[in-house]
Amino acid sequence: MGPAPRGAAEEPELMEPAVEGTSKKGKKESSKKRIATDCPVEGLLQPVKLSRAELYKEPTNEELNRLRETESLFHSSLLRLQVEELLKEVRLSEKKKERINAFLLEIKQRVMKVPSTPETELTDQAWLPDGVRVPLHQVPYTVKGSFHFLPPTHVTVVGSYLLDTCIRPDINVDVALTLPKEILQDKDALNQRYFRKRALYLAHLAHHLARDPLFGSVRFSYTKGCHLKPSLLLRPHGKDERLVTVRLHPCPPLDFFRPCRLLPSKNNVRSAWYRGQSLPGDGSPEPPTPHYNTWILQDVGLESHVQLLSTVLGSAGGLKDGVALLKVWLRQRELDKGLGGFSGFIVSMLVAFLTSTRKIHTTMSGYQVLRSVLQFLATTDLTVSGISLCLSSDPSLPALADFHQAFSVVFLDSSGRLNLCADVTASTYHQVQHEARLSMALLDRKVDDGFQLLLMTPKPMIRAFDHVLHLRPLSRLQAACHRMTLWPELQDHGGDYVSAALGPLTTLLEQGLGSRLHLLAHSRPPVSEWDINQDPPKHRDSGTLTLGLLLRPEGLTSVLELGPEADHPEAADFRQFWGSRSELRRFQDGTIREAVVWEADSLAQKRLIPHQVVTHLLALHADIPDACVHYVGGLLDSLIQGWKETSSTGEEALAAVVRCYDDLSRLLWGLEGLPLTVSAVQGAHPVLRYTEVFPPTAVQPALSFYKYLRERASLLPRIDKPCPAYVEPMTVVCHLEGSGQWPQEAEAIRRVRAAFQLRLAELLKQQHGLLCRAAATYTDVLKDGFVFRIRVAYQKEPQILREMRSPEGMISLRDTPASLQLERDTRQLPLLTSALHGLQQQHSAFSTVARLAKRWVRAQLLGDGLTDECLDLVAAALFLHPEPFTPPSCPQVGFLRFLYLVSTFDWRNNPLIVNLNNELTAEEQVEMRSSFLANRTRLPVLVIFTPQDRKSSVWTQDGPSPQILQQLMVLAAKALPVLEKQLMGPQGPGDIRTVFRPPLDMYDVLIRLSPRHIPRHRQAVDTPAASFCRGLLSKSGPSSLMPVLGYDPPQLYLTQLREAFGHLALFFYDPHGGEVIGVLWKPTSFKPQPFKASNTKGCVVVSQSEETLTVPNVEAILEDFTTLGEGLVQAVEARSERWAV
Amino acid sequence: MVARRRKRAAGRAEEGVPSPPGYTAIPIKFSEKQQASHYLYAREHRVREGTKSSWPPKRTLFILNVPPYCTEESLSHLLSSCGPIQSVELQEKPDLAEVPKEPRSKFFNPKPVPGFQVGYIVFQKRGGVLAALALQGPLLVSTESHPVKSGIHKWICDYADSVLDPEALQEEVDTFMVTYDKKMDEEEAKAKEEEGVPDEEGWVKVTRRGRRAVLPRTEAANLRVLEKEKRKRARKELLNFYAWQHRESKMEHLAQLRKKFEEDKQRIELMRAQRKFRPY
Repeated sequence: MGPAPRGAAEEPELMEPAVEGTSKKGKKESSKKRIATDCPVEGLLQPVKLSRAELYKEPTNEELNRLRETESLFHSSLLRLQVEELLKEVRLSEKKKERINAFLLEIKQRVMKVPSTPETELTDQAWLPDGVRVPLHQVPYTVKGSFHFLPPTHVTVVGSYLLDTCIRPDINVDVALTLPKEILQDKDALNQRYFRKRALYLAHLAHHLARDPLFGSVRFSYTKGCHLKPSLLLRPHGKDERLVTVRLHPCPPLDFFRPCRLLPSKNNVRSAWYRGQSLPGDGSPEPPTPHYNTWILQDVGLESHVQLLSTVLGSAGGLKDGVALLKVWLRQRELDKGLGGFSGFIVSMLVAFLTSTRKIHTTMSGYQVLRSVLQFLATTDLTVSGISLCLSSDPSLPALADFHQAFSVVFLDSSGRLNLCADVTASTYHQVQHEARLSMALLDRKVDDGFQLLLMTPKPMIRAFDHVLHLRPLSRLQAACHRMTLWPELQDHGGDYVSAALGPLTTLLEQGLGSRLHLLAHSRPPVSEWDINQDPPKHRDSGTLTLGLLLRPEGLTSVLELGPEADHPEAADFRQFWGSRSELRRFQDGTIREAVVWEADSLAQKRLIPHQVVTHLLALHADIPDACVHYVGGLLDSLIQGWKETSSTGEEALAAVVRCYDDLSRLLWGLEGLPLTVSAVQGAHPVLRYTEVFPPTAVQPALSFYKYLRERASLLPRIDKPCPAYVEPMTVVCHLEGSGQWPQEAEAIRRVRAAFQLRLAELLKQQHGLLCRAAATYTDVLKDGFVFRIRVAYQKEPQILREMRSPEGMISLRDTPASLQLERDTRQLPLLTSALHGLQQQHSAFSTVARLAKRWVRAQLLGDGLTDECLDLVAAALFLHPEPFTPPSCPQVGFLRFLYLVSTFDWRNNPLIVNLNNELTAEEQVEMRSSFLANRTRLPVLVIFTPQDRKSSVWTQDGPSPQILQQLMVLAAKALPVLEKQLMGPQGPGDIRTVFRPPLDMYDVLIRLSPRHIPRHRQAVDTPAASFCRGLLSKSGPSSLMPVLGYDPPQLYLTQLREAFGHLALFFYDPHGGEVIGVLWKPTSFKPQPFKASNTKGCVVVSQSEETLTVPNVEAILEDFTTLGEGLVQAVEARSERWAV
Repeated sequence: MVARRRKRAAGRAEEGVPSPPGYTAIPIKFSEKQQASHYLYAREHRVREGTKSSWPPKRTLFILNVPPYCTEESLSHLLSSCGPIQSVELQEKPDLAEVPKEPRSKFFNPKPVPGFQVGYIVFQKRGGVLAALALQGPLLVSTESHPVKSGIHKWICDYADSVLDPEALQEEVDTFMVTYDKKMDEEEAKAKEEEGVPDEEGWVKVTRRGRRAVLPRTEAANLRVLEKEKRKRARKELLNFYAWQHRESKMEHLAQLRKKFEEDKQRIELMRAQRKFRPY
């Protein structure tokens, strides 16, 4: 089976889900005039063949240099090429730069020509024309001072555009407008006066520029999300509107504000003014306003920062590349946006800092800069030990410690007074550090696709964090500020209660979640834009505050929060922190301690303890009620919960079966009287590796429901009753020791095995009183209500099946279908089962993720195309190769990543290597990749390699077909954004099952089945309100009746259909309670075929001229659907408008 | 659309069903209830001269396109009116030779799920074949007097059949093993007899039962010997000893790098084509 041409033709479309701007792309492609080599056309990598002469020609100097450079500056030549391509993609082209420059020149001229206004009081804003509103919330309104407009003294371009480090898309050019001294007055730094003037200045400017036809749009925005600092956005008119956004920032003239007035310990917003009341009598000092001061200092420092950066980065191309790469890196992780984001500017300054400390040299390549900065971030905690670009040792400058007191993250600029990271919260910085650490680990592991994972994979919050919670409406945070008495912070932040509350809230939750938590991150309020004739958006308009929790799986299992001993002084703090949940408890070691106990019975509930913690703490300390906390953590759990189960996701049930299996295997080991001893007992069923979607329950059949076959102690289904419950026997492979007594002939071995099966049944019954039923290839054993199917295996049997004798008597080994099948069933499957069982012990979420993934694939009716094992391995890959994420510890995030992996993985050019037990070295993986490329055409479309299966990808040999894989990828690509939107969206999750419902409109014929004969009816995605009794007693107890095994009418029906009509049509069905079979005619089946004796199945002869042609006898076939499934089929709906014979 | 096809189907019935040259089309339906029917394409079993066929000539009827619900019993019931039948055989594909009629074990060779099949019906007399070819139909597989199970009925029935009798199984295994052991003993005895005895040309057969163990005659063993030889030779060779060896190994390294570079370039080209370099 090779990659089919149909899939090949369609794939490029799929790789490009983004729809917008396709026409533009198409144009660019043609303009690039790429040389059409045969590989991009097919989209398939081919092994490279170079002629001898080419390989061994004398190297030129240039080539040697390049090779040497690659070796020393980059990781590998591939990485170098990738980095170069990426930079080409994000950099601005010269042509565009010219257009932008021209636009900037126009702006400068126009800004200078804006007419001035007469002087008025700040509070008298009547002079402002109608069409424009002040882009600032003026609370409190009254303020001293006067304002009049004069054109700026300088208009200078600052920021990344000048440094050539800005990246596409959304190019922003920052332009600083230096305010004339005459506008400003002494003490303007006080009480937001400077910010008021700044806003009025912009309002007047906006009014005049908006009338100019040069601009496509003139809007306001906040500079980096800061609510006191609006900026004016200008976009060119016409087709260039998307090209660039020019942001105008007014700034004070140099040396206008006295720097000593703006130190972090100083106050510049008087409480009396801000709160509108006179000072309290006790004369307490005014609280410092470090953030407020910083915002003024930022404006002051605009130009000096650019100068610094341009001297450092100026001539060094490598550093610029490095900054651009870092910006991409940050953006993929959503770290750079919003108020308090770790912006590109901070990173540029960090590069400057590292250059000044000689950690980075100007000759370094972009990749090395990226690496060094990540290394620095990973190892330096700026929340504890800040850094400074300032070189002077002026004693009047404040010490770093002063800054640490005022800010959570400290990175001082060259003046030594401005903290560049003032708005960055500790959580944000820790997130940056966490990401840097992950990335360094990734780079050090030298994986092949490091570049892809590092710079090309987006990490949205919902996919990166285990649990996510939304706080909405945001106005609740105002009350939280009151509750937490954050008055000084509010005053400092100019009334922005969201940022004021953010720090204390995250600290609170971090403390409460303690050992359960690995990392807590918060979304940053997005930077909004608004029209100039509108009021600026309020704080609460920024939607929701989203917190992401990365959980520590080992901390999740405990239901106890252990506090200090009752008589310790800390006990009071503990009680205060946990409120009513704190109780005195006596422990086994005799101590009496304060403790909090959470209610959780099952693993699923334990995983959701953070939910309880968060809601409790928020209600207790921040006055945020339950209704405002929208917790997204276990919403998908209900899909893998069995009927009647509400609290557990089945891990406990699976563990019970595995325990039962362990008992059985002990019994088998200790069995006396077998002619040969048992050499191994291995599980080979999904249940035994925790990946069966719905775990089996112990069954006790009700006798009256069945026909009883007394002499064989077996039950049979009855025609007058609904189909009995589906019981699938769980396969256990039992290897017997090798011995000279085993015959050397395949047929004889089968007979001997059968004899062993009979003997096994007999002995288990005699020695342990278990109910057994033997057949030729297996023995069914009923133990504690579970049925196991023991298969005896002989290790050498596959080899004997493989032996071929040549005419000369030479024995050679050749794989035959029978030997491969046997090898798979008795050797590879048990190995895989035990490896995945081990994986479950390491990662407790594996079971749920694998089951959710399988549930989804089967619900999409594609379950028959992909084997159980294949899906289990894909799920295992999420845990073994989580890069750039960490292994999921909750089913929801794992499922999202499954969808992402399936939809974006380039299955045609890459094998999915699942390194079970970490057995493969990096070199071995490289070797596997190259052998994959060499053998691509002989391998299946979806290739999964494991340490046990390095060449053939056994679990995907029989499917999926290219079409099924294609369909799977399309469905996953569609489901992922829908689901993510539901989980992240402002209107709540809605119906979470939407993505699990299959699209039925693509099928040509729908066969509706009667629920009466669907034994697993209750497992359906939409659980039916009522179903049928399945002949089980509700109370469990020892049973002596072998239940009906593996009797599933829809499956039997499907086998018949596929056997009879498989050459004409494909059949799709969800084995978990599906009520519909989808039938798709094969595209070629309606083409008239010439009559052939071997190929008349289900066809009818239509004579056309001389040649005898046949076409499928569709009417008869549709009636056959009903006939073959008599009793099961309710209706056959032919959507004949879709096809014609 | 459906209507048009219906009309065509109706028309077909009037003017006589089209059939491929040499074949007769006989309509067949599951029961009265069905409207459309499948067509059996039947002809006398004939083979080209020189080809051998184990089916008796002149008396064998060959049928194509036997629907899945039609079993051997029901076919013999349907055709019994044409004359006494000797045997009915349904197969997946046309096959000239009669399958060796060894009793198939129901334990070890479970019946496969049937699809559309071909049938060989051997009549006792030639008249049966001719009568069958003249059948008008439509034949009904399941009638009230002779019902055939399908759907739920059939599956329940199949399930009941799958619950086997262990004693019968034991018995079958025992008989097989007895014959097998006998066969093995005979072979062993024969081998012992031949041991060390030269044949007419004077050759002595060496077996693994001899006093000195010999290499087994398998491919794997051959490979192992070759591998060993190779390793022995490799150990003797000196590496990077002569100047030309140095030069060559350097050149080899360069060639490797070049090859890798070309491969990488190809990958990049492909990624660019898939627009893998747009970060967001």
